[in-house]
Amino acid sequence: MNMNVVRSIQPVVNSISSRLFSTSTCLQEIRKMARMRVVDNSSLGKAARVSGQPARVIHVYTKNGVATLGDKVLVAVKGQKKKAFIVGVKQKQKAKIPRFDTNNIVLIEDNGAPIGNKITVPLPSLLRKKEGDITKVMPLANRFV
Amino acid sequence: MPKRLSLKPEEVEKYRKSKLIDHPDVPVAEKTQRETVPADYRFVFPEFLPDPEYDRRDRVRERLERDDMYRRRMVIEIPEFYVGSIMAVTIADEQTPSKESRFVGICIDRGGIGLRAFFILRNVVDGLGVEIMYEMYDPTVLSIETLLLEKRLDNHLYYLRDAPPEYSTFSFDTEAIPIPKGTAIPVNPLKVKLNPRPWLERWERQDLKGIQELNLPQKFYDRAEIHAEKPWQKHDLMKQYRSNINADDTEQVMKEVHQRKKAIDRENTRRRKEAIFKNKK
Amino acid sequence: MKTICFLFSPVTHQIRGKKVHTALKVTTQALATTKDKSLTKENQEFLDNVVNDLYANQPEYRSPLADGPWKRNVYTKRTLRTGVLAIKLGNLPQWSKDGKKITTTLLQVIVDNHVIRYYSPEVFKTQAGWLPRWSDKYGSVVVGALSTDPRKYNEQYNEQFLEAGVPPKRKLTRFLVTQDAAIQPGTPLNAMHFRPGDFVDCSAKTIHHGFQGAVKRWGFKGLPKTHGTTKKHRSVGGIGGKTIVSVWKGKKMPGVMGGKWRTLKGLKILRINTKYNVLYVKGQNIPGETHTFVRINDTVLPLRRKTENPPPMPTWYPEDESEQLAEEYFDEDLFQFTNESLDLKTGTK
Repeated sequence: MNMNVVRSIQPVVNSISSRLFSTSTCLQEIRKMARMRVVDNSSLGKAARVSGQPARVIHVYTKNGVATLGDKVLVAVKGQKKKAFIVGVKQKQKAKIPRFDTNNIVLIEDNGAPIGNKITVPLPSLLRKKEGDITKVMPLANRFV
Repeated sequence: MPKRLSLKPEEVEKYRKSKLIDHPDVPVAEKTQRETVPADYRFVFPEFLPDPEYDRRDRVRERLERDDMYRRRMVIEIPEFYVGSIMAVTIADEQTPSKESRFVGICIDRGGIGLRAFFILRNVVDGLGVEIMYEMYDPTVLSIETLLLEKRLDNHLYYLRDAPPEYSTFSFDTEAIPIPKGTAIPVNPLKVKLNPRPWLERWERQDLKGIQELNLPQKFYDRAEIHAEKPWQKHDLMKQYRSNINADDTEQVMKEVHQRKKAIDRENTRRRKEAIFKNKK
Repeated sequence: MKTICFLFSPVTHQIRGKKVHTALKVTTQALATTKDKSLTKENQEFLDNVVNDLYANQPEYRSPLADGPWKRNVYTKRTLRTGVLAIKLGNLPQWSKDGKKITTTLLQVIVDNHVIRYYSPEVFKTQAGWLPRWSDKYGSVVVGALSTDPRKYNEQYNEQFLEAGVPPKRKLTRFLVTQDAAIQPGTPLNAMHFRPGDFVDCSAKTIHHGFQGAVKRWGFKGLPKTHGTTKKHRSVGGIGGKTIVSVWKGKKMPGVMGGKWRTLKGLKILRINTKYNVLYVKGQNIPGETHTFVRINDTVLPLRRKTENPPPMPTWYPEDESEQLAEEYFDEDLFQFTNESLDLKTGTK
């Protein structure tokens, strides 16, 4: 977005964000209704990004309902239900594990094959030792940190 | 009232020094006549200072911990760095084909006491902000380099998360720029222009010097004033005493660091020469 | 022979509804005699020197070790060796050889750990604190630590240390031992009683929080903050009723939190420093705060006891070591800071 446009809508943004409750994120856990950024080049992900309605987690395939790096989630993107792998998180991580500025996902089909054919952002190299369907996502990445 | 079930630190020391007990005493740094310890050592080696919490301190544990730290510093060179310096870290990584991974970034925070010392590097890679925390004494860290040694105006740079990416974008091919020996560490007076709200934290409530004017409505500053440190709190001597290591203890530790540093420096230069010799071959 | 069994009496306390019998574990006898303030400084110093020389030169404080050692037996599956008294020094991170961070707790076996007395099973059976379930399997060993000035204690207390020929100890504790691990009074115990790779049980008193409410003590939610709740926000709420008009035993309620003996079992010793007698024990949750007394003994967990590579029996003696004692001993899986960095290129687990 152009910086001039940002400045012109600044009062609007301020009025929206000055609610009675805190709008700042603190824990940054990925649970149901968490908004995620699709980082592959699938048309579905692109459409979600352009429309400003990000993919939302509607189910987490873990026992405790909290997802972290490498976990599988079910997301709602543009009115469709899609499965996805989490490939980057905002939450504080242990030493040597990268923490990203956004919560990133890669969309997959029900059979585990990724929908897109390229990932535009770096992935944590920790994911390489994971087993299962996520190994099909790894070749799409062009960079690991 | 809860009962204290443990011995007080000074009581333990009393028993350790008793004539009835044949206990080896923890050696303290020898007195150096000519050399004086540089005054900035507590900022260069902050992790050597003990825990400010008095009840958690123990002389024997601190001694064993520092010994491990000196041993590790004999094996790899841990250079001088500050918040704001640009650094490169190489770690052993089982997952990569080369079994190594290198990351370059700006140090946005450092902390931790003793073997727990850590620092956080931030960079923007392919348009995405990445932060990695490294432990300084972790044996899987293969090398730590300071590419650009400088300080910034604040003690932490977490606000770069809410700043445009160009403030924290650094090329992985950045060449190291050594600063001449004996010169003071340059302070980068850069003031960061933050993105418009919403932010991750309320930066206006923190006393930050490295950010530009935020241009917020007056009510934000009014609230910030309410939450700010009260003017008399900076004169609270007990608060200062509890949160800092006193001058005597600092001097004692830094004297020891100064003495050990000579051997560590010698070892580092030897290793550097060896590496150059190997490269020529 | 004067007995010191009066120091030990069985203690019962309630834990979550069941009654548990535990023997009193560490005890202090602080019977300070009044200090004579009229002594001059010179006289005071003279007395200090007398106290220090007492245990070195006086014949009545002769160590029983001079009479020759007791018979040393072979370690078996059923053997229970004596333990040692240590103080907790705090936590330190260490790294394993596959690059993983391990939090360890440092326990210093205070150098003047001495065996004060050994009771054979027959004698032990007649003493207070004996439990019928022990049958005649176990004798007991009294171990003391922290040598102190005998002027701080009364005569009765000081005389108990005559048999062992050691200065009076500030802390005493008792360990059950089998008869084959009988140990001579006056024997010093140190960190070499254990070896790296051994598994131990550590018991200590947990941090004493005083009288606490149910929210802090048991993690209750409390009552609502609004909707008409007054003065009851951190209350327990209902405690039963309706059909059975009584409160169930073991109901979680406010009360004294902490300050109880707790044992962590099966902790691995990763590193031993022989100079300062420090054990690096795996785990960060050994009860108590820094400088708490910790009882360390061989683990009771059967799968972690080593019978093929038995520990020194009944304890380690300096004459066992043919070579000079190294300053530090490491577990084979632990990274040593003098080694090169871990490149993880070859065979990691």
